[in-house]
Amino acid sequence: MRVDNRLTDGVPMRPLACDRCAAQVLVRKSSRQQTSVQWNSGATALCAELEGAEPAFEGCGSLRDTIREATLRGTIELADGGGGGETGGPGRQLM
Amino acid sequence: MSAVDSAPDDVRAIEAAAAPTRFARGWHCLGLSEKYRDGKPHSVRAFGQKLVVFQAGDGTLSVLDAYCRHMGGDLSQGTVKGDEVACPFHDWRWGGDGRCKQIPYSKRVPLRARTASWPTLDQDGMLFVWNDPEGSPPPADVVIPRIEGATSDEWTDWLWYETTIDANCREVVDNVVDMAHFFYVHYSFPTFFKNVFEGHTATQHMRATGRPDARPQEQGDKPKTTGSNSLAAYHGPSFMIDDLTYHYDTGDQQSVLINCHYPVDANRFVLQYGIIVRRSPSMTGSAADELAAGMAQFIKLGFEQDIQIWQNKARIDNPLLCEEDGPVYQLRRWYEQFYVDVADVKPEMTDRFEFELDTTRPVEAWQKEVEANLARKAAAAPAEGRPV
Repeated sequence: MRVDNRLTDGVPMRPLACDRCAAQVLVRKSSRQQTSVQWNSGATALCAELEGAEPAFEGCGSLRDTIREATLRGTIELADGGGGGETGGPGRQLM
Repeated sequence: MSAVDSAPDDVRAIEAAAAPTRFARGWHCLGLSEKYRDGKPHSVRAFGQKLVVFQAGDGTLSVLDAYCRHMGGDLSQGTVKGDEVACPFHDWRWGGDGRCKQIPYSKRVPLRARTASWPTLDQDGMLFVWNDPEGSPPPADVVIPRIEGATSDEWTDWLWYETTIDANCREVVDNVVDMAHFFYVHYSFPTFFKNVFEGHTATQHMRATGRPDARPQEQGDKPKTTGSNSLAAYHGPSFMIDDLTYHYDTGDQQSVLINCHYPVDANRFVLQYGIIVRRSPSMTGSAADELAAGMAQFIKLGFEQDIQIWQNKARIDNPLLCEEDGPVYQLRRWYEQFYVDVADVKPEMTDRFEFELDTTRPVEAWQKEVEANLARKAAAAPAEGRPV
């Protein structure tokens, strides 16, 4: 299967464990606003928010908080370096 | 302007394997079931074959291979007799289960008188057929969700359109992740865009704002759209349900849009779209029907523009994506599950994957473009479009 050119030419997916349930997922952020999350069956089984979620459910809030923290700490790097050119200034609000 | 970031100065080649000749495993909608309830057999070209769809005397809709196993007559040119379809060539009678039930001029039906039959589902006014190259029946957990409004008097009846397109059906599925084309092709203005793939569903969460430079219906005293909220999901390879709410200056308007297709062959598919609109105290009887018709026209226009793109574009297996594009590769990884044997479906095809797009830059660029379009319009037609 072919691989996204943004992963091979830019920043890859990085492992991250959720602060709440320790579900281990892969995360990538191209900017403060963009987020990719790759789950596996082990991680989805651990996540309490995903359990029985409606189709409209957009994603786990605890994991979103964990990713935000990891981004602030620099554990998850931003593909645009955090500057984001003209758009993603460092002072911009998260989420 | 975007920063240009390219190191090796090689020409990027478009790579594309031929479209698969295998057809996706899953439920495919063949249109409104009402269409097949006129007592006649219907011919449908799908999955590289010719099928016959007919309604038995007991009301059941069945789908068989169109060609009679006796001498190859076309059953879709025959007649319905009781619960069976009769071949126009020698009157052999075929039941919905694919078995020959009777040969009026013969004492007995020969051995092996069985033809291919497809499992069907008649739900919410639509006929579905289950395709599986391995020949297995649909698993109990692979279902098309019920659509509450489809059977409710509080909603309009289905408005339904279909058209045949000379392209492989992967093109329409790619749209699920293609945020930017909604601005350029559909005159929409996405402000939030997120995809989630899991199991056999691929979901698109999209919120959009009004597009004052491009909405033809925003004229005179008609309600003006201020934006929309859409939750659209493919359930399997070909059937998308879109719960779509338009925000008007007069209130919210709920609708359900169906976007579905079935393959005719590797390079052709039948695209269908249907719409129902919820009636409300402010949107009763004919007003709701009129709104549904207006929305259907707008959606039809959008698909016509898609079709123009699809029928002229190159098939591409290695799209070159920028960071503001959606997850095309991961969508195709999800889509692949329907083209391999069940035993070969890998966890990576069905594991949950989420992708939330950063719309900051697109929104900035598009606001400027909308403003420029409005300024150009105002300059070109100084007497029109202004409040008197």
